[in-house]
Amino acid sequence: MKVKVKSWTGVATWRWVANDDTCGICRIAFEGCCSDCKLPGDDCPLVWGQCSHCFHIHCIMKWLNSQQVHHQCPMCRQEWKFKE
Amino acid sequence: MAGLSPSERRLQKELMSLMKEPPPGMEVDSDKAEQNLNLWTIHMKGAEGTLYDGEEFQLQFKFGPKYPFDSPEVTFVGNNIPVHPHVYSNGHICLSILTDDWSPALSVQSVCLSIVSMLSSCKEK
Repeated sequence: MKVKVKSWTGVATWRWVANDDTCGICRIAFEGCCSDCKLPGDDCPLVWGQCSHCFHIHCIMKWLNSQQVHHQCPMCRQEWKFKE
Repeated sequence: MAGLSPSERRLQKELMSLMKEPPPGMEVDSDKAEQNLNLWTIHMKGAEGTLYDGEEFQLQFKFGPKYPFDSPEVTFVGNNIPVHPHVYSNGHICLSILTDDWSPALSVQSVCLSIVSMLSSCKEK
């Protein structure tokens, strides 16, 4: 039997490469978006700290903006510095 | 989860996980919490082998609209307030994670565990 492919459709999936499944701040999966966003992906990206902990960027920014003096990682309390 | 605010969405998740897998000796009053997601009551048993073994306490959690960026207000309520150097007779708890050392990665569960552990480390009432 010979099969002739007449057309095909490519399908791709994506996922963040994070060392955890859920954001420690909003508790929503990294594959999803933070509770202020509608769509996951580039509009609601993840960011890493130098301590290697990772959050939705909107979640960590809300936390850092709410802190007047020390900017600490919510997970390990080390000083929060964005990983380049 | 439509119509829930960000803080309510997180509280809803925490409530589900506390109901499904409650830590030993703890039980959330789920009917009450479902009626008002911002006010929870948790029944807590004193840990075995400690000064509070056999005692039961009630913890009240009040959550503001900025939870988890703001800490919850946690107090002992009811007719059995634990006798402890860091618990006032009106139920107020002196615990750093409830004020200056709060982190949004903490949760109702981790706060409860800290409180049980705070009680358990007491050697003399």
